Amino acid sequence: MKKIALLALSTVLSAGTAMAQDINQKDSKWFTDAQAKIQEMIARQPNTGRARNVILFTADGNGIGTNYAIRLFAGQQAGGLGDDHVLPYEAFPNLALVKTYTTNGQTPDSAPTASAMNTGVKTKNTMINVAETVNVGDCNAVAGNELTTFAELVSAAGKSVGVISTARITHATPAGVYAKTANRDWEDNTGLPEGCTAQKDIAAQLVDAMKAGTVDLAFGGGRAHFLPEQITDEEGKKGKRTDERNLVEEIKGLGGQYVFDDKTFAELSTDGTNAPILGLFEGSHMKYEQDRTGEPSLAEMTEKAIKALKNNENGFYLNIEAGRVDHANHDGNLHRTLVDGVAFAEAIAKADELTDDADTLIIVTADHEHAIAFNGYCGRGSPVTGLCYEIDDNGSKHVDTPNKGLDGKPYTVVGYLNGAGSILKEQADGSYSGTRGDLTNEEAMDPDYLQQALVPMLSETHSGEDVSVLAKGPWSHLFDGVIEQNYIFHVMNHAVNAELQGN
Amino acid sequence: MKRRHFIAAGLSLAAATGARAENGPVRLRELYNKDLSFSDLAHSLADRRITVSGFMAPPLKAESTFFVLTNRPMTVCPFCETEAEWPDDILAIYTKRTLDVMPFNVRLVTRGTLELGAFKDAETGFVSRVRLREAVYERG
Repeated sequence: MKKIALLALSTVLSAGTAMAQDINQKDSKWFTDAQAKIQEMIARQPNTGRARNVILFTADGNGIGTNYAIRLFAGQQAGGLGDDHVLPYEAFPNLALVKTYTTNGQTPDSAPTASAMNTGVKTKNTMINVAETVNVGDCNAVAGNELTTFAELVSAAGKSVGVISTARITHATPAGVYAKTANRDWEDNTGLPEGCTAQKDIAAQLVDAMKAGTVDLAFGGGRAHFLPEQITDEEGKKGKRTDERNLVEEIKGLGGQYVFDDKTFAELSTDGTNAPILGLFEGSHMKYEQDRTGEPSLAEMTEKAIKALKNNENGFYLNIEAGRVDHANHDGNLHRTLVDGVAFAEAIAKADELTDDADTLIIVTADHEHAIAFNGYCGRGSPVTGLCYEIDDNGSKHVDTPNKGLDGKPYTVVGYLNGAGSILKEQADGSYSGTRGDLTNEEAMDPDYLQQALVPMLSETHSGEDVSVLAKGPWSHLFDGVIEQNYIFHVMNHAVNAELQGN
Repeated sequence: MKRRHFIAAGLSLAAATGARAENGPVRLRELYNKDLSFSDLAHSLADRRITVSGFMAPPLKAESTFFVLTNRPMTVCPFCETEAEWPDDILAIYTKRTLDVMPFNVRLVTRGTLELGAFKDAETGFVSRVRLREAVYERG
């Protein structure tokens, strides 16, 4: 052992000597930045304090590839080439790769992935917080097979709980915080199968959670699932419930605050109250950030939620979803995917600003990736929503000539493997055929453009590719390597229960 | 608004409207402002025959003379969702002839008389804020 130690020491010394004397590129910024990073890593100390607060950020459908596109987009919007940009959460000290498969899906949907993060175990596609032994849609088998959620655990320990989504608040990811259902589509009573008594619909479960104090704050879309069909809401959209229940009025009856647009949201009180707070800003999903009007942004909802939940000295669990990164990917519309991705990054920066790393565990992840794919060989600065330009052998930024396929036509940086953007169109005889269009960069960068895709489908699909988890705060160093998605729950649970230092 | 600005706005609108004839169809999104009110262009084109580019959402019923034009392909089956799931920026199209259904993701251009204001379709119950009447269409 001693001999090995001496040998290792001499290796270090010789490497150090070589660095000082023989490395021609030692003054390069690439080199010095990396040396600084080495020092940062050596100095890093794990945070083993107890987490008072846990914030779990999920951008739905933001796998490694989608996140790469958001990075380029944000960097290019800031005037740079894009690829060297650092999104706020990419500076977090700890990360792991996450395996997102479910107990029956190589490709997951957002229901079992939310379950994994909220309960610590995987389950079947389509189901939320119900054991994998239950068959999808088997309502009456739910009884006795409900999984305990993180929200139930932490609220029992005195913490407050908040849930935010730009999708419907009854959609799979936010429902993972409070609902237990054999089918994610049972968002109001009209979805429940006849004779289903072992569980309530998802919206009704949110009301129950607010009554029980396992959820204190909820912001999102999905108002129609809370209102009876006879009611027309503040924006002229009809409710969907057929059980005569007006869940908004029920929440108000609990002494809760209810807001429905940006103006009432701005007036919302966050002063020392634990009364439930409900914000429903659309009949269905909230608008894409690209189209947003009359609604708060994800960052604004994040800020308001933290200010409200911070009043609890025992801390809080806040689950925040950028739900429409996923939807725009499903549309095959990269522009809206990335604009919502930037809004996600801004919300994370806001949460980081409003909390203390010493007592707040912030986790940033995704539930799954999409069938998004990247072309080459693009020169630096090729617009991520536009054409893939040739590399400049004499400089950094791309030259002005787009790369072309053997068909003589340019192609975009990003494409999809399937979806509405398929170049194969239905013909009059029902067959599918087509050729790629002769695309200009201006056409490709149009906010409404659908990237070219291969397999024709009504909606682009998820994929089973890994996502990342990035984290900072107490016990975030437990994220390392390649992990199962359900492990995320266990880090959160360890962090909030860790022995206080000095005890 | 100062008079000079008003005139300038009017001139640019006229230029935009004039350019329409030369530069091809109106994009559906150009009929709306971001807050979903009608754009100046929409007001200026009201009751005129115009050409609009967009996509045919899967029709609500067969053998119809009515369909919904969307800005981007409707990637979700409208039968699976209710009217609340329609995008806000749509254009109702009432055609001269019975529909020949087009694939949802093939761009088309449709020409008809622009009509602004709420209207409830007696047959389908579909409420539109803006529509084209006496419309014809073809692949764009």
